[in-house]
Amino acid sequence: MIKSIAKKEFISTLRDRRFMALSIIVLLLLLAATVVGLHSYNTLQAERDAAQQTVNDQFANSEDRHPHRMAHYGSYAFRPKSSISFLDFGMDSYTGASVFMEAHKQNSANFSQAQQSSSLIRFGEMTVAFVLQMLIPLLIIFLCFGAFTQEKETGTLKILLSQGVSLRQVAWAKVAGYSKVVALVVAPAMLLASALLFGKGGFDLSGDVLVRLLLFIGSYLVYFFIFIVLSVVVSALHQRSSTALVMLLGIWILCCVIIPKASANLGATLYTTPTKAQMDADVHEEVAKGIDGHGSGQDERTEALKQELFKKYKVSSIEKLPVNFDGIRMAAGEEHSTQVYQEHFDELTDIFRKQNRISEYASFLNPYLAVRHLSMGMAGADFDHYVHFQNEAEQYRYNLAQGLNNIQTTRLKYGDKETRLSSDTWKEFQPFVYETPQAGWALTNHIVSFIALFMWLALVSLVGMQLIDKTKIA
Amino acid sequence: MEYILEAKQLRKEYQDKVALKGLDLQISAGEIFCLLGQNGAGKSTTINLFLGFIQPSSGAAYINGYEVASNVTQVKEYLAYIPENVMLYPNLTGMENLALFSSLAGFDYSKEELMHYLVQAGLPADAVSRRVGGYSKGMRQKVGIAIAVAKHAKVLLLDEPTSGLDPKASNEFSELLLNLSQQGTAIFMATHDIFRSKEVGTRIGIMREGELVDVQPAANLNANELENLYLNYMHVAR
Repeated sequence: MIKSIAKKEFISTLRDRRFMALSIIVLLLLLAATVVGLHSYNTLQAERDAAQQTVNDQFANSEDRHPHRMAHYGSYAFRPKSSISFLDFGMDSYTGASVFMEAHKQNSANFSQAQQSSSLIRFGEMTVAFVLQMLIPLLIIFLCFGAFTQEKETGTLKILLSQGVSLRQVAWAKVAGYSKVVALVVAPAMLLASALLFGKGGFDLSGDVLVRLLLFIGSYLVYFFIFIVLSVVVSALHQRSSTALVMLLGIWILCCVIIPKASANLGATLYTTPTKAQMDADVHEEVAKGIDGHGSGQDERTEALKQELFKKYKVSSIEKLPVNFDGIRMAAGEEHSTQVYQEHFDELTDIFRKQNRISEYASFLNPYLAVRHLSMGMAGADFDHYVHFQNEAEQYRYNLAQGLNNIQTTRLKYGDKETRLSSDTWKEFQPFVYETPQAGWALTNHIVSFIALFMWLALVSLVGMQLIDKTKIA
Repeated sequence: MEYILEAKQLRKEYQDKVALKGLDLQISAGEIFCLLGQNGAGKSTTINLFLGFIQPSSGAAYINGYEVASNVTQVKEYLAYIPENVMLYPNLTGMENLALFSSLAGFDYSKEELMHYLVQAGLPADAVSRRVGGYSKGMRQKVGIAIAVAKHAKVLLLDEPTSGLDPKASNEFSELLLNLSQQGTAIFMATHDIFRSKEVGTRIGIMREGELVDVQPAANLNANELENLYLNYMHVAR
């Protein structure tokens, strides 16, 4: 029974020219977004690869320098784009692409696309995710709003039911038929994206990418299914197609426009972020309380460090220390300043996470938010991936600075500011290589959205169908 | 005697009105029972109760001996329903519509069999492969009849089926009903059409304000007498 009605819905829809025209437009948008996303990915990734290679070469082949000069010369970490990010740019366009890694300072990522683009980017970008999250639900609404109301208006529902079919069977059959139609629109773009991802070079292909892609596609399939069932249920609960359509468009506006904005504003209101000027001032004040690597060595903290070393090496003057006190003081200053920077960065990150959490929990009110978070997470373009990169870059910066301080400590004498070490020394340092975290890590970060999406699935399937059972036929 | 279609003190109340006031009715196999009445008299309510689309407030409706309210799915096996305006699915052909509704009733017919049912119902052979969206009302009603015939239903419930049909189509429809009746199908037809009732009906009932006020064998009355009787009950001055 279900198969027959599903087939009828599929055939009827394919023969509906208005719907087919709409579907073709959405499919073309989807294909265009895939190709544009891929082009953007290729361009940005090539630029970042080239830039990373250039700075790595420049660092390794740098001229003869004092190690601390080299620490200030520093290097750059360019954030590689995640393979699936061509489907969902997420926050990538607004977060920085590179971090300058130097001694004593923890710089934030700079040179985001938004910084380098016109104000038009604020209108949003035509990405595959945008089409999947916003336009496909609209297409589903236009496809399904008359699922039951048209049958009621024309009287075919009574004929259907008089054949011995239950309301629930009709509903599931319609869901099956519409799912097939939606698959017809979405599948070509998804297949194209998969073919581009796995059939062409230039991508970081691994099992993890496949897992991410499957989770990405799976999340959207659940999302579309939720919208299809929801639309069918709303249609069943109304007597007229026009009122069902208005109700569904209201739900779409609420889910895709109002709740996301409201949850973001609520998050920003509840958890206020400090200004950059305030944060810089706080960091500067706290760093000043520690050992100044460049200081004269007259302050109490430097004196205490000196006395500690005298005691350890059983000597009475800096000159008699078996290690270079300048390097040790630099290392101590670096450790302190890094700790201060990291604490403030963690505090700031925590505030952003709390803001994001409001939006994540709003997924229980809105499947759009659930899929948006999951989509960004699987695409490696969310806030957590950005922070992960920042932390990796910071870890590298700290190790680089301390490695150079160690060279100063062990290979140069106290007070030696003239010696220049050859570029062979710099080649001892491995270049920065960023490994994107595993899909499981990304999924764990969005477990609330994952649960919310499946809660919606259960809700519309169970409660929705119970409501359909109570639909008025006559 | 076993009746195919039966109502015992069947009553339906809504919040502010009584739509059906304790209907008692028995219809046998091969009988055509025509129910006349004004809009809102309770004709459609009666059909909806037999179809199980609404629950009775009291009393019971029976199809082939099964109480409808407690055997909603089971009784559908025995009945077919044709509404006032058979719309069907406009993007499907007549044959596809019939194939769909037949498959829902558990019949998987070949194209030849589907064609046979449609042509038997009076649909021109060249129309069966055209989309129903381009059919006249009469043609759609014929597909509706084909759906009922192909289901081999024991009971046919018709809700004002000739409303809006031209005289020729209406006449053809009557012939189809008489054929079905001769094959043993019990037909319950709610209608405004006094002339058609007299033409095809075995018995004619008159319903007023939810009450079956009179039932007459069609053979006992000519068309004029039936009209007068009906108008009397409707309190319309002659």
